[in-house]
Amino acid sequence: MCDQTFLAATFGPCDSCGKASPLMNIYVKNEPINYCSFCVEMMACQGLQSGETLTSLKKESENLKKKLEEERGKLTDVELHQVAEKVEAVAALSIKTRRVLKGHGNKVLCVDWCKDKRRVVSSSQDGKIIVWDAFTLNKEHGVTLPCTWVMACAYAPSGCAVACGGLDNKCSVVPLSLDRNENLAAKKKSVAMHTNYVSGCTFTSSDMQLLTSSGDGTCALWDVESGQLLQSFHGHTADVLSLDLAPSETGNTFVSGGCDMKANVWDMRSGQNIQSFDSHVSDINCVKYYPSGDAFASASDDATCRFYDLRADREVAVYQKDSIVFGASSVDFSLSGRLLFAGYNDYTINVWDVLKGNRISILFGHENRVSRVRVSPDGTALCSASWDNTLRIWA
Amino acid sequence: MSSKLHSSNNINHARRTVQQLRIEASIERIKVSKASADLMNYCTEHTRNDPLLVGIPASDNPFKDKKPCIIL
Repeated sequence: MCDQTFLAATFGPCDSCGKASPLMNIYVKNEPINYCSFCVEMMACQGLQSGETLTSLKKESENLKKKLEEERGKLTDVELHQVAEKVEAVAALSIKTRRVLKGHGNKVLCVDWCKDKRRVVSSSQDGKIIVWDAFTLNKEHGVTLPCTWVMACAYAPSGCAVACGGLDNKCSVVPLSLDRNENLAAKKKSVAMHTNYVSGCTFTSSDMQLLTSSGDGTCALWDVESGQLLQSFHGHTADVLSLDLAPSETGNTFVSGGCDMKANVWDMRSGQNIQSFDSHVSDINCVKYYPSGDAFASASDDATCRFYDLRADREVAVYQKDSIVFGASSVDFSLSGRLLFAGYNDYTINVWDVLKGNRISILFGHENRVSRVRVSPDGTALCSASWDNTLRIWA
Repeated sequence: MSSKLHSSNNINHARRTVQQLRIEASIERIKVSKASADLMNYCTEHTRNDPLLVGIPASDNPFKDKKPCIIL
């Protein structure tokens, strides 16, 4: 296998062999060095002669993994659903489709709410981004991008711009103008550059920084104004399919999930992978933080959704049923965190009781896979995007 | 692809894995009972503000259609 594709922020003469090539910017004993990928490997080999062998490293990693399991096991004195027996069961929900947003010409892949709780932006396989007013069904803006499969879209916190990315390997920011005649596509600005498709994007606390996840196995933090790479996050060994930022009160971390079946929690400032969870048995399609920031949920192709607590550092619930055999593509929590909405490839959305672990109800309506579910910022409605070319608002 | 480069890739990967596991093994953890209790408390505290869970009157919810007045 060729050496991994990596995020190369610089191109130039290697510090070691002098050849001009994409450089890996790494730190050795706190000193920055810029080597090409070949020289990095050679350097790694040399370090080995001091006694480590591949087998000794593998043995140590096995021992550490066992130790990790033991430590986590010691603290498992009770299961979440047992503690939750004291809580009242959820009353029957009266959630129905209230709006159907039609207008995309092909599969809708992603949706995001604006902070004003009424606008949504959606992106589609047809290469279009549409900004809708969910109350009136009015299409406020439409942007056509030069690529198809726009897999990720996000609304800026100010509501003045949207970010989108996909098969073009880039994530671009489009400022939204009040002038309906203006050609928004012309003002599109490329911010992120990856070496493979962009699967997810989100603005951080302001319009100035953008966090992206990509099929090249990395996540990256970008400055929107200059397009500069501020931090990159390496650790996944396969495509990263989803990411979610921690709710603002809890600080600078985010969680990502990917095709390597792992969900990783990262520190945004240092780029360090703080925690890792690998209980899924297939690709993780979506990760989402619990409203308090102490836990997160994931949806996977193995037909389960799982709930992980960050302070206990382990999985605390699995949401599955023998009758559910299709992969889950997306999850989101209701405002209080009691309900988990999960969209599946069998065209349904299941509503799970987060604490007790049982399924409360099923939402039917879409005529093809549900690709994304998002709860509005004030919790009044759920928006779902589907491969049947429509979005539905449920309330 | 020379075998030396291939094995050095493995070594690099193994070393990174070991370092990562060392970091993960050393973090502070709390008991699941305490973590679950905190999650439950968060839920119960915020339950009454959750429109999808407890439902808010149709007049307050912009998505629900308001019932038409019937004058007998």
